[in-house]
Amino acid sequence: MDNVTYIANVEHPVQLGVMIAIYFFYTGLSAGAFVLSSLGTVFGIKKYKSIAKAGVVMAVALLAIAPLHLIGDLEQPQRFYTLFYRLNPRSAISYGTFLLTLYPLNSVIYLWFMMRRDFAQGTQTLTGFRQKLYALLTFGKTDLSEQALAKDDKWIKRLGTLGVPLALLVHGYTGFILANIQARALWHTGLMPLIFLMSAMVSGTGLLILVLLITQRFYSPEKSLTPERKALIFDIAQLMKWFIVVDGTLMVIDFIVLYYANAAGHAAAQLFLYGSHKTMFLGVEIGLGLLVPFILTFLPKTKKSLGWISLGSLLTLIGVIAMRVNFVIGGQQLPLSADTLNPYTADPKHLLMIGLFALAEITILFLAFRFLPIYGLPKTSAPSTLEFNIGNKAVVK
Amino acid sequence: MAEKKKRYAMVIDLRKCVGCNACTVSCKIENQVPEGVFRTWVKEIEKGTYPEVTRYRLPRLCNHCDNAPCLAACPVQATYRAEDGTILIDYDHCIGCKYCMAACPYDARFINPVRKTAEKCTFCYHRVQEGLLPACVTTCVGGARVFGDLNNPKSLVAKLVANNPVQVLKPEMNTEPMVFYIGADQDIMGARYTNLEKGED
Repeated sequence: MDNVTYIANVEHPVQLGVMIAIYFFYTGLSAGAFVLSSLGTVFGIKKYKSIAKAGVVMAVALLAIAPLHLIGDLEQPQRFYTLFYRLNPRSAISYGTFLLTLYPLNSVIYLWFMMRRDFAQGTQTLTGFRQKLYALLTFGKTDLSEQALAKDDKWIKRLGTLGVPLALLVHGYTGFILANIQARALWHTGLMPLIFLMSAMVSGTGLLILVLLITQRFYSPEKSLTPERKALIFDIAQLMKWFIVVDGTLMVIDFIVLYYANAAGHAAAQLFLYGSHKTMFLGVEIGLGLLVPFILTFLPKTKKSLGWISLGSLLTLIGVIAMRVNFVIGGQQLPLSADTLNPYTADPKHLLMIGLFALAEITILFLAFRFLPIYGLPKTSAPSTLEFNIGNKAVVK
Repeated sequence: MAEKKKRYAMVIDLRKCVGCNACTVSCKIENQVPEGVFRTWVKEIEKGTYPEVTRYRLPRLCNHCDNAPCLAACPVQATYRAEDGTILIDYDHCIGCKYCMAACPYDARFINPVRKTAEKCTFCYHRVQEGLLPACVTTCVGGARVFGDLNNPKSLVAKLVANNPVQVLKPEMNTEPMVFYIGADQDIMGARYTNLEKGED
């Protein structure tokens, strides 16, 4: 009936808020960066080998911070460790606990095998702080013989091959966290894990481009964006274009089906396409976050411009943050027993935590790119380093 | 024949509900529920155009579902099912992740602002263990709330469910609720999206 007035009801505010949305953003970035790094090491596409280390460093650094958002969002954060032994095989969160532990662990070991050769060489050729740091990080494995390096490569391949499904699972499971909840019409779709994976690839590529631009220019031994590096960045931007196309397509499919869904699903589609969420959804998430970056990576003029490409990459990050907020919070705002949207106000404590965690993230990334041999060893030492790099095989003393 | 396991359920006969909210108040007192949150409440709507207007009420509480989504959601098994079918929360093990609150299709759960864990109606488990009825049932002025063992055919709830057309909330969710309503109006049982679709919040 049309003339129904609500006289009395209890308000049910949104529970899973901005902390969870930002957590999804971080894991997405991590998974995206990891998959891109694996293109060279696991899938054997040679041109991506030079960014493999950068991708894994990002994946590890992002996943080191991501779970802090989850713990910070708990009402009883001091009990978080019980997640490891009080398991519920029916809860996606229970699976996530182990994925969030195994995936970074695997990534760190993978990264170590990738860098062991640089550490070992650096121990011999460098001086000062870096030499001491690298000597420590070799963990005594300084063998630079061809067999040892071949063994490293084998492990890189093995751990990378394990890492790709882990990265996909670690972000796919976040999709299941939402999709498994039948009560929330916007979440309950089999597309949700795929949507999360594709938006992870979009944002992961976006951040990788920005990080490559900044760190190759300022923290690589050459301290410049060489023509090959520029070409690779444009190449990655083209990958991003296709990720955007797939992500956008999934979103269109999702909303077409939502439109034909039950009352709650239809209301969700209305809310996002015509209702109060249309600016955040159509404007920021789709327009700024997918459409503009697509155009920038599509037009012949802008797709060969570092400035436009970095703008596009930045916009994908904003768009994916908007996507996480729209789906996590918007999905719960749709009422289950009321006639108005469930209210949500961000807890200032949570906003403060997000800011602090972001600072920590930037610090970790800075330290890693400043001090780890991500783009090879610094050029301060003897020409022997050059020989190592050019010959691409070990020189036995 | 072996005695069948107990399965506690509630029937709310809306023909007898006067919307006095005595249940809301008695629950608050009995369970010391803090300000701003409710284990049970009475939803009320007004329907029709003058002079053809009627008010409908719907006392709400946890449905203690046979197929409870909250039970599947809880990552630390703090939500559990007692022997008699009641869904309970172990407050010493709840980590407050709020996933159960997202999973519940009935808005039954909330965070207790004092204890900082999830909380909801327990069918007054502590009273039932002592042979008493839930506080809301004892206090119900019109006798609309009836509580008992659904597996015992001689109990009043079993008889009411057997002899009346009963409804549960959102049966399409496959949750199999254990709170049954007699005479519930369809416009009060779920959410109402008309205002949202008009673009108002």
